[in-house]
Amino acid sequence: MYAPFELDIPNDLAGALAALANGDGEAVLPLAGGTNLIVDIRAGRERPDRMVGLDGVDELKGMEFGPERIAIGGRTTVSDLLRSPEIAREAPSLVEAARLFGGLMVRNTGTVAGNIASGSPAADLVPPLLTLDAELTLQSAASTRTLALDDYYLGYKQDARRPDELITRISWPRLPRDSVNTFYKLARRKGDAITVTGVAVTLAAAGGTCTTARIALASVAPVVRRVKEAEALLEGRALTPALIDEAAEAAAEACTPIDDIRASADYRRHTVRALTRRLVAGAWDRLA
Amino acid sequence: MTYTDIDPGALANVQFRQVGKPLTRTDAPGKVTGRTPYAGDYVMPNMLHMRVARADVASARLVRLDVSRARALKGVACVLTAADMPDRTSATDIPGQTGQKRLDTDQPVLVKDRVRYFGEPLALIAAETRDIADHAAALVEFELEPIPGVYDPLEALKPGAPQVYGEDNIVATRRIRKGDVEAGFARADLIVENTYKTPFQEHAFLEPEVGLAWVDENDVVNIRVSTQVIEHFRPIADAIGVPHNKVRVRGALVGGGFGGKEDMTVEVYLALLAKHTGRPVRLEYSREDSFVGHGKRHPFILTYRTGVTKEGKITALDVTMIADAGAYVFLSPYVILYALVAAPGPYRVDNINVFAQAVATNNMYTSAFRGFGALQACAAYEQQMDEIADALGIDRLELRRRNFLKTGEPMSTGFVPPSAIWTEQCAEKAWAGLGEPTPAQGPIRTGRGLACYQQSYGRLTFLHDTSEAWVGVEMDGTVVVRSGVTDIGAGQISAIGQIAVEVLGVTLDNVVIYNSDSAVTPLAGTTTATRALYMTGNAAKQAAEGLRARLVERAAQEFGVAPDEIDMGFNEVFVIDRPEKTMPLVDLVRICAAEGIHRSELAIFRAPFGDFLDPETGQGQAHPDYAYGAHAVEVSVDVETGEVEVLKSVAAHDVGQCINPAAVEGQIQGGAQNGQGYALSEEMLYEEGRLVTPSFSEYLMPTAMDMPKVECIILESRSGVGPFGAKGIGEPAMTAVAPAIANAVADAIGVRVFEMPITPERVVRALHGKGAAEQGRDPA
Amino acid sequence: MSETRNITLRINGRGEEGRFPAHRTLLEALRQLGHMEVKCGCEKGDCGACAVLLDGMAVDSCLTLAWMAAGKEVTTVSGLGDLDAPHPLQEAFADSGAAQCGYCIPGIIIAAQAIIAENPEPSEDDIRLGLSGNLCRCTGYTKIFEAIADAAREMRAEGGEQ
Repeated sequence: MYAPFELDIPNDLAGALAALANGDGEAVLPLAGGTNLIVDIRAGRERPDRMVGLDGVDELKGMEFGPERIAIGGRTTVSDLLRSPEIAREAPSLVEAARLFGGLMVRNTGTVAGNIASGSPAADLVPPLLTLDAELTLQSAASTRTLALDDYYLGYKQDARRPDELITRISWPRLPRDSVNTFYKLARRKGDAITVTGVAVTLAAAGGTCTTARIALASVAPVVRRVKEAEALLEGRALTPALIDEAAEAAAEACTPIDDIRASADYRRHTVRALTRRLVAGAWDRLA
Repeated sequence: MTYTDIDPGALANVQFRQVGKPLTRTDAPGKVTGRTPYAGDYVMPNMLHMRVARADVASARLVRLDVSRARALKGVACVLTAADMPDRTSATDIPGQTGQKRLDTDQPVLVKDRVRYFGEPLALIAAETRDIADHAAALVEFELEPIPGVYDPLEALKPGAPQVYGEDNIVATRRIRKGDVEAGFARADLIVENTYKTPFQEHAFLEPEVGLAWVDENDVVNIRVSTQVIEHFRPIADAIGVPHNKVRVRGALVGGGFGGKEDMTVEVYLALLAKHTGRPVRLEYSREDSFVGHGKRHPFILTYRTGVTKEGKITALDVTMIADAGAYVFLSPYVILYALVAAPGPYRVDNINVFAQAVATNNMYTSAFRGFGALQACAAYEQQMDEIADALGIDRLELRRRNFLKTGEPMSTGFVPPSAIWTEQCAEKAWAGLGEPTPAQGPIRTGRGLACYQQSYGRLTFLHDTSEAWVGVEMDGTVVVRSGVTDIGAGQISAIGQIAVEVLGVTLDNVVIYNSDSAVTPLAGTTTATRALYMTGNAAKQAAEGLRARLVERAAQEFGVAPDEIDMGFNEVFVIDRPEKTMPLVDLVRICAAEGIHRSELAIFRAPFGDFLDPETGQGQAHPDYAYGAHAVEVSVDVETGEVEVLKSVAAHDVGQCINPAAVEGQIQGGAQNGQGYALSEEMLYEEGRLVTPSFSEYLMPTAMDMPKVECIILESRSGVGPFGAKGIGEPAMTAVAPAIANAVADAIGVRVFEMPITPERVVRALHGKGAAEQGRDPA
Repeated sequence: MSETRNITLRINGRGEEGRFPAHRTLLEALRQLGHMEVKCGCEKGDCGACAVLLDGMAVDSCLTLAWMAAGKEVTTVSGLGDLDAPHPLQEAFADSGAAQCGYCIPGIIIAAQAIIAENPEPSEDDIRLGLSGNLCRCTGYTKIFEAIADAAREMRAEGGEQ
């Protein structure tokens, strides 16, 4: 690979944040798993002057399972998610997305923060995290702030992260007792494929009524997004097939897919409708 | 499992000691421990690193090409453009042919003034390091003025279409005219007409094209390269303007070929820069280079019009096949010839017209790929058989049964294949192999499909194909085989070793096979066209038998018996049924050496030599022989999303005689993957000739999660023209897979997707079309 | 040009030193040091031919920068075993015909070793999931699945004996 850049390898978070802060007009990028970034650099899509390797930053690893919330470090890898029985319990949609994420080697190195920060509309971990109401901690040398993942994406490949910030932590509230959290990845093959349509759903119910509905879609809009139009139709109601159809239609209406090499916009919209219906109906059945 | 249910008379030759056993291949230990050097693993001191700079549009005039900045970069040793070698062209026609005149289809080595396809090479760079070569490639400046191109073969045939080739874009046309087609249609109770489309396909060998070249002390250009064809030394020499004996091609174990390393790839570039710089040069394609740097499988548009009686007997067949040849000729004239001959499939059709044409476009050029036109024909004729069966309401296997070509019957070209035709046995076993049906579940429907095939093995007879092998026995009783044959991963050399040691009565661990060196191993011809085992296996068998005859004669003298009382086995020579009369092979060899009896043999095997098929009627012998078999699959289809999953994949092939059953199964299982990707997920998308899927994340071959375990049912008719009655399995393994899948999808959803790959989206569209037709409304 | 730096890589148990720029990938560095058993298939993390173990974890060496591997233990297919003392996976692959052209095999055996290290008794689904980042064009994977299951059984038996 020919791509002249400088590389800092700090051994703690303070060092990493300091390295990111010392921009001086350079293009500085954090390097976590590199499974997207190295590919983009080789293809000339990214031309950093300097990179900050995060391998040695142990503060970004680890998981916490509190009474109310679950939090994972930004450098948690996709494989880390798969190895955790607690995550399997607390975020089944995230585990399903992780399972179908790249191949073994990519899962071993690709990180949750990296997947979020890539800004790809096809980022597989994001729809599950959106349906879990995930919150990000963005930290720079000067400041720390938290931001709902739902507010993170501003537009195609545009996000709220400043160049000197790292996504240090991702957290979400524990799922309510009677809830279902699922994800379906539709792709052109089963193993290691870019998502054509991704749908994640969280439903919670109490007393025969849907108390919470979260529906998030991948690859059908410039960013991974929730379809609140559809969620609003479901919350506070007892779900019927007609209502679920209506929500699925609302999701299909709300998405803004494009034609690309993997599928047409029409097909994507069709599958959003079909999969939203299927996932919501399946979740509701399980809650009943 | 292996079936040999044939007449007992043929069982005499099954007392093999080596052949027919699933032995560990001779190349396996080196490969699994990382010891095997591939062509890209060779380096030399003082070596330069190459890059190819390529055009980024598909049809253009080269207005300006400025390599001065690239040349000026520190560490750049050489940059060549067409201006440095204005008349250099390289051959694109059939490689390694013996004696025939080349077609007038050479391609400029580098673009001179006209770019005809995306990625066509503009300049060759050699530099001290790869980084510098990469950097220099980015400094090559060029201006390309777009010229209207044509990207669809049907458009290319229209009057006034942009001209890519010749006066009318027609690269080649072939015909079969046999029987009376009009009368046959008149007699038909039903005529079924459909058009099927097959796509481009990328070979996707895991080892990208790579080579190392240097000029030796004899001024010979040596090229160590990943190739299926070391006989390219001749066109390489022609291309760089040196005598044939001044180029030596050495292969290595090839990291996958599938036809994609049949044409020359990096050889001429390497040879030119080795000559120009006087230093060793290495060129390794990136994956993107590989996607644009070698020819693809021809997309075909195939229209089948079939007349049948209500009992299901085919009375007439009229076929039109249009193949996209891309921007240069390469093997297109031969690919459509294979398609032509294969047009009716393994069925008896006495009234048949076939028209096959290859048409130039500004798409990537297309050339050899496993199945070589016959596979595209199979994709159509086997879908057509299901369409006919459904239209007649006859069981799909039964319809086939009523039409199968049988042993001793003439095929489309009037030629009677010399071997057994066991299509029916294969079809029944494959179909039965699917076992109990998997039930449908909600929106997940299931379906089953079958496809049968006829596929040649061995090259076109007018090429007058030959193959040589040398077999010798060393002073300690170990065996050496020398043959130019290339091993592209199917176990070609191990099988040839297995044949030699069978004849000489030693075990496989006692043989070493030297192969793939155009200067020192006897030329064996190409590893293409499912010919390596057939041709070189026969040559090795002949050589081993010649050597054995001499050894046996001397042993007979020693034991005082007649030569036909002697056998060789277990590394010993002995009198049959007289255990006391035995001696170690090594002792016999020592006697022979002491007496000056020749301990080696060089043999040449000649395939049947023939002429071109009659240009008007297509009658004659195209190939030495044909292989037959069947593939059956069960799929599930999600009727809401269109996703298809292959649940079961069962193949049944008559391979004649297995040399190594594990290797045969490996070919079948790999063919199943190759064909499954072709049917479902592999898609090369071009926009105005520009490839927009140049990576393995965009071009999707089946992964370990997508492939079912493939069940292999091997039948042995021992009737083939290969060694010990072997046929071939390299190409046949793949031929019927895609139509079996297409038929299974149609079975599952009740409507056919006429164009491959059968993407989820195409499935959904087909279902919508069907729903609309049933409900009398427009598609959504 | 970017800065070059001397780094020491521990490869198959031996320390090896090389001088590399920051953008040099581990794949390039390993091959530059003569470890030709590590194969280049796509340089994009799509094919797995270049997989190695890094501190026991399978990674695509084409997506790993050499500097980032400094001080870590790199294991290639040749580090698992050799012709004289093959690893059970290597034996199983050779004996079952799971290697055809063989170019993908160094990466696949590395992935297989990682699969078994994590789960000594992998199901077929575990094997499929573990191999989804390793492309093979020759075998259709059938014999590869069988070889991995055989080797895992063999390794469990060996482990039991010890």
